[in-house]
Amino acid sequence: MPRYASIAFPFLLTEYAARKQPELCGKAFVMASRQRGRMVIDAVSMQAAKKGIANGMVLADCKAVFPELGMMETEPGRTEKILQALAEWSIMYTPYAAVDLPDGLLLDISGCAHLWGGEEAYLEHITAKLNSYGYTIQAAIADTIASAWAVARFAEPMTIVKQGKQRDALQSLPPAALRLEATILARLKKLGMRQIGNFINMPSSALRRRFGKELPKRIAQALGTDVEWIVPVQPVEPYQERLSGMEPIASAIGITIALQQLLEMICARLQTEGLGLRNAVFRCYRVDGIVQQLDIGTGHPSRNTTHLFKLFEHKIATLEPALGFEVFVLEAPKVEPVTDEQAAIWNAATQNDKKVAELLDRVTAKIGPGAVSRYLPAEHHWPERSIKQAVPLWEKPVTEWRKDLPRPIHLLPVPETIEVSAVLPDYPPMLFRHKGTRYSVAKADGPERIEQEWWLSYGLYRDYYVVEDDKGARYWLFRSGPYDGDYPKWFLHGFFA
Amino acid sequence: MSYTELQITSNFSFLRGGSHPHEIVEQAAALGYREIAITDYNTLAGVVRAHAAAKKSGIRLIIGCRLELLDGPPLLAYPTDKDAYARLSALLSTGNLRAEKGKCHLYKNDVYKHAQGILFIALTPLLLDEAFDFDDTYKNTLSEYRNNLGKALYLGMSRSYQANDNKRLHRIAELSEALDIKLAATNDVHYHEPERRQLQDILTCIREKCTIHTAGFRLYQNAERYLKTEDEMQRLFRHYPEALTAAREIADACQFSLNSLKYIYPEEITSGGRTPQEELEMLTWQGANEKFIDGIPEKVAENIRYELEFMQRKNYASYFLTVYDFVRFARQRDILCQGRGSAANSVVCYCLGITSVDPSKFKVLFARFMSDARDEPPDIDVDFEHERREEVIQYIYEKYGRDRAAIVATVTQVHWRGAIRDVAKAMGLSTDAVDRLAASIQEFRDELDDSRITSEGFNLADPHLLKTLELTREFVGFPRQLGQHTGGFIITRDRLSDLCPILNARMEERTNIEWNKDDIEELGFLKVDVLALGMLTCIRKAFDLCKQHYNKHYTLADINKEEDPAVYEMISHADTLGVFQIESRAQMSMLPRLKPKCFYDLVIEVAIVRPGPIQGDMVHPYLRRRDGTDPIHYPSQELKEILGRTLGVPLFQEQAMEIAIVAAGFTPAEADGLRRSMATFKAKGKVSDWEKKLVAGMIAKGYEEDFARRVFRQLEGFGSYGFPESHAASFALLVYVSSYIKCYYPDVFATALLNSMPMGFYQPAQIVIDARNHGVEVRPVDINHSSWDNTLEEKSGRYFALRLGFRQIKGLSGDDVQLLMDSRKMPFKHIHALLDAGVSMAALEKLADADAFRSIGFDRRQALWEVSSLSDSPIGMFEGQPSESAAEGQLSLPLLTDAEHVVEDYATVGLSLKAHPVSFARRRLEAMRVMPTGSLPTMKNGDIVAVAGLVTVRQRPGTAKGVIFVTIEDETGFANLVVWGKVFETYRRDIVQARLLMVQGKVQIEGEVIHIIANSCYNLTYLLRTGDESVEPQPAADTKDKTPEAVFHKGRNFR
Repeated sequence: MPRYASIAFPFLLTEYAARKQPELCGKAFVMASRQRGRMVIDAVSMQAAKKGIANGMVLADCKAVFPELGMMETEPGRTEKILQALAEWSIMYTPYAAVDLPDGLLLDISGCAHLWGGEEAYLEHITAKLNSYGYTIQAAIADTIASAWAVARFAEPMTIVKQGKQRDALQSLPPAALRLEATILARLKKLGMRQIGNFINMPSSALRRRFGKELPKRIAQALGTDVEWIVPVQPVEPYQERLSGMEPIASAIGITIALQQLLEMICARLQTEGLGLRNAVFRCYRVDGIVQQLDIGTGHPSRNTTHLFKLFEHKIATLEPALGFEVFVLEAPKVEPVTDEQAAIWNAATQNDKKVAELLDRVTAKIGPGAVSRYLPAEHHWPERSIKQAVPLWEKPVTEWRKDLPRPIHLLPVPETIEVSAVLPDYPPMLFRHKGTRYSVAKADGPERIEQEWWLSYGLYRDYYVVEDDKGARYWLFRSGPYDGDYPKWFLHGFFA
Repeated sequence: MSYTELQITSNFSFLRGGSHPHEIVEQAAALGYREIAITDYNTLAGVVRAHAAAKKSGIRLIIGCRLELLDGPPLLAYPTDKDAYARLSALLSTGNLRAEKGKCHLYKNDVYKHAQGILFIALTPLLLDEAFDFDDTYKNTLSEYRNNLGKALYLGMSRSYQANDNKRLHRIAELSEALDIKLAATNDVHYHEPERRQLQDILTCIREKCTIHTAGFRLYQNAERYLKTEDEMQRLFRHYPEALTAAREIADACQFSLNSLKYIYPEEITSGGRTPQEELEMLTWQGANEKFIDGIPEKVAENIRYELEFMQRKNYASYFLTVYDFVRFARQRDILCQGRGSAANSVVCYCLGITSVDPSKFKVLFARFMSDARDEPPDIDVDFEHERREEVIQYIYEKYGRDRAAIVATVTQVHWRGAIRDVAKAMGLSTDAVDRLAASIQEFRDELDDSRITSEGFNLADPHLLKTLELTREFVGFPRQLGQHTGGFIITRDRLSDLCPILNARMEERTNIEWNKDDIEELGFLKVDVLALGMLTCIRKAFDLCKQHYNKHYTLADINKEEDPAVYEMISHADTLGVFQIESRAQMSMLPRLKPKCFYDLVIEVAIVRPGPIQGDMVHPYLRRRDGTDPIHYPSQELKEILGRTLGVPLFQEQAMEIAIVAAGFTPAEADGLRRSMATFKAKGKVSDWEKKLVAGMIAKGYEEDFARRVFRQLEGFGSYGFPESHAASFALLVYVSSYIKCYYPDVFATALLNSMPMGFYQPAQIVIDARNHGVEVRPVDINHSSWDNTLEEKSGRYFALRLGFRQIKGLSGDDVQLLMDSRKMPFKHIHALLDAGVSMAALEKLADADAFRSIGFDRRQALWEVSSLSDSPIGMFEGQPSESAAEGQLSLPLLTDAEHVVEDYATVGLSLKAHPVSFARRRLEAMRVMPTGSLPTMKNGDIVAVAGLVTVRQRPGTAKGVIFVTIEDETGFANLVVWGKVFETYRRDIVQARLLMVQGKVQIEGEVIHIIANSCYNLTYLLRTGDESVEPQPAADTKDKTPEAVFHKGRNFR
């Protein structure tokens, strides 16, 4: 005979938040999200519930009544994540643990409870454990999933329904305990059926005619004449491999071999799953308890052991084995699917993209981060902000390079002062001197006036000119501020091809 | 100055232009421009304002428009004369009427058709292609423009300081050469000064629904689109001097001014070849003879002659005839109507039937309107039954045609809350921050208040926030959209589109013009307000019921002929639930003090409980003088004239304005300006200058400063809720009529009121309780007895019994009821019969829920049980066979308690005839020593009591700072609570949330008025829950809005 435990978490989200931010403990606060333009409450803390605040209320209304009510925005999908984690945790109590959305867990405990000293002790143990984590729970055990669900949520706390006693246990519970649609509940209520007992014994044909198929089906599920299934969670393995030596290893060669082995193990696994790693941590546990680690990152998901090893290679020397390492662990905290469409993104015609990426990784690993950059266009008129560095390197541009504006191929990160002789008012300069060299302007176009982006910075506008010197080289110059200002300053900002 | 700016986008190109038309005009005048053109996108909505501002600044406005075409580059259009203006306006109307509201669909061909007499400037694209040229499509269209528009076409060139300026101007010059089109220089102005660029950027963000950080290239790269000086323009176009000359040429050619538009009344208002004046005189005398059957009293005749002579002098006959036309139509259709406004309270209007206020009973106010000094156009608003006003509107459209009649626009302005929301969003603040900022502005028209912003957790030292607030201040008051005025009609003899573009209103079958009432006034056009009033619907229905059941034929004027003491007696006891205007809590507590005795007392009653007199602190002085407690004296002999009728206390708007004229030396125009500025500028805090002027003026003439300040505060109150005596008189008439019906026919009154819902202050539950208290039997909704409307059945006691109608059942559709009624030849005996009649299952369930099957022996629960099994009634070849459920045998259903029935009644019908919900809690309330409200009259002043009841009204009047008025109701009556601010803060939650509220407090008795001054308040809503608590837990899964207490109306809430 199967037995099921149902566990409900009435304050799951808020108690989770309080676990993360202990200062929230004992506070009245809610989680809310925007729905049709209003902030609607999705979860309440126990203290908020005591003030009569419930899910579905409009935040503004509650704030009007309790101005001190705390509020956090609901993170979509958080409930599922927490319940998933809790279900995985509860595998210690039974292999068949499942998430029971929206607010609970479901455990198939057939044959498990005796290990904990009977069902009562079993339930108490789970409760005590979850309470110690800060979760309030309502739990119950019964023969069927449906009745365990009902009893956990609507009956006395910690109810254990004896075998075959579902019908009795359900009698005095409200119809909502049968997980019915709101319309059916409303109709039952209007008929004065406030307890399951009012109708549980009616012929199912009479019920079906009036309430449709759902009601008789739910009753059958609760009583066990209709069967429900449990879908247990699959524990997810982290990408981690470990290697322990027979005796401590202190030589560089030994470490290298261990690392290579670990890389092969992990890459083999990544291979089967179509993944590549983005960073890796090589952790070495020294006999004296000290842990040393090496980190690498790639600009591109990779499972190429040779390449990955090269990234580690020159760092191995930095390890201090002293008396030797006894355990090596290689973890890949960040993995990504290896994409094949990179060729299209990182398009330099015939180049082998992977090679370029790997080369870049190696250059970066050698001379330090920030030495290699790629630039993308950004939607800003202000020249310094009109380009941005691509992070990661194959980041897709969100906007196109503008072709309708004269922009230099080489833009100086910081404009350099020049001395000019210009004709007033807003004509281009005739001569300019940059770093001691004199250039005489043969041709020019402009001005193009670019104002400060006032929400980011204040200051003078710039009048840009494209000028060509007598040797045919072209420069991007600007005057800062109006021509009739006090000694307007001139700058060189870039070179055209 | 020789240059004229011809391309200006004002903020009437919504979310494009960054400056008001008047700002642009003023700046132009300051820079020395002699004239200026405003060219908004497909609209002339802003030109009247610009025109008015230009008149003030002494420059000339050139009317223009930027035509955005669906199939070609934009054109600027400038009509050279009145006919060309009419064509431009017609062109825009064509585009507007083809598109939904707010859009204008125009094509090249439309332009060619309307082009005569209009000068055009074709605009050029801002960007060049990779060959640094315009594309061929553009060039071809331009050449097409040239062929069709000829020499009237110019080619616009402007310098935007973009990278391609030089090349672009060169290409434009080339095009001009090639196609033989003259160049015209403009500066594509978007704001009057460069500093507005920031706001203009924000407008772009709002328009593009992005933030300033994500807007990117949608913003302009510099601030050059401002109004530049002539010198600067000369410099910028030094290579193209001919372009500047051409701009001058266009400006000189366009001499059309809005001043030359003339409003002409329609011709249909006269008959038999009479002139309007002759027609008016004929109709007036004809009406007078009908009204005064025993002969026209000499005094009245004299008044009529006097008024007619005045109307002739002012040439107002056509206006009165226009109003008369609507009223006559309404009368033919038996639609009740009543005019109001100073011009409506004239003997002529009484004779024409525009108003029913009898001139022999009430000192006609026309005299004030007649003073020649106040050169105002006449002002008549006509209220019609709200359910039938549309008939009048459609009559107007039909009679005069859509091309000649339209509704005036209202230009919705950006208000503080909307402004801060939009700006903050555009500045990239988080939604949460935007909400909090908006929350710091509590009132609709409130100013930004730093302390409130700080209290929402913002740091006022943050420059980003400061910038947000600064831009918000600039943005407030910008026009947002063109709405439809509530009922202001403009009708002309010729096509309306000759005067102003017409556009589709959001409502079907409505069209309006682009100008609002101020614009129309500026140009001297006349409008008539066709408004809707719920109480007229109610009175009409009451009249019909009186005819049907009491065989009495009433009209508004008939009832008002005699003054009935019984009616005034009833009013004096504040027995006025449902009566027009005097049913509010404040009015009801005023009535026993004022004890109205005659019609004029009602006029005062209507006007006195208003923000004006209350803010001006005029109410109590008046009451004391009336009671004889205070002596009646006048601040001066000159004011005795004005204040005689109101015992020396100014109560009406007219009086306050007259005081300004007489006692503070204002000119009539200034006094009017003062009143207007109260309404318009309150938001911007510009009233203090007026206050100084008024107070100084009055002190100079020897009045006390205190009195002067009170007059000013009163004016301030009038500003936003203007309530002049002439309006009060028209309303008082309806007050009297509705009181009369309530007094003599409470059955009729309640029925008519319920059938006109929603209106007024009260819920059906209160109306029914009140009717029952007056001895009217009220019967429940029933499938065999009810109609859609509430009806009167046979006499039961003094009155006819009121049968609740199906309309009271929430969510029941009229179609289902129609099917039911159609097949109810004989009383229904089975539920099947209804299903066979075609009534939907959903409707049957609603009927069952509403307990409407009692006449066939089912209560709601049994009925629902039966109804729900009907869904599988045998169909097709099995039709007619008994349903399976017939063979089911009797299943026992749980019994519903009376309390449960009452809860369900409230949930479905909004009221219960079975019992008052509070009666079920009485035993428990007694245990808490809570007394029934019915015993309050036995208390003494100062007694401490506890009462509890359903909250029916919560009010927080703006005039009583922080005080909350709550009315609660139990099975024995009701109680009026006063909650002071401090108590409210303490018990805020209970007061806001409670449906059943218990209050402990002190009894305050003043004559018949009993108040309870609350000391503490408790939410006892849980007592309304029925059944056993233990079976009614509140898990998260429970449906929210079906908790038992939620079915009770929350109570009319304060805002």
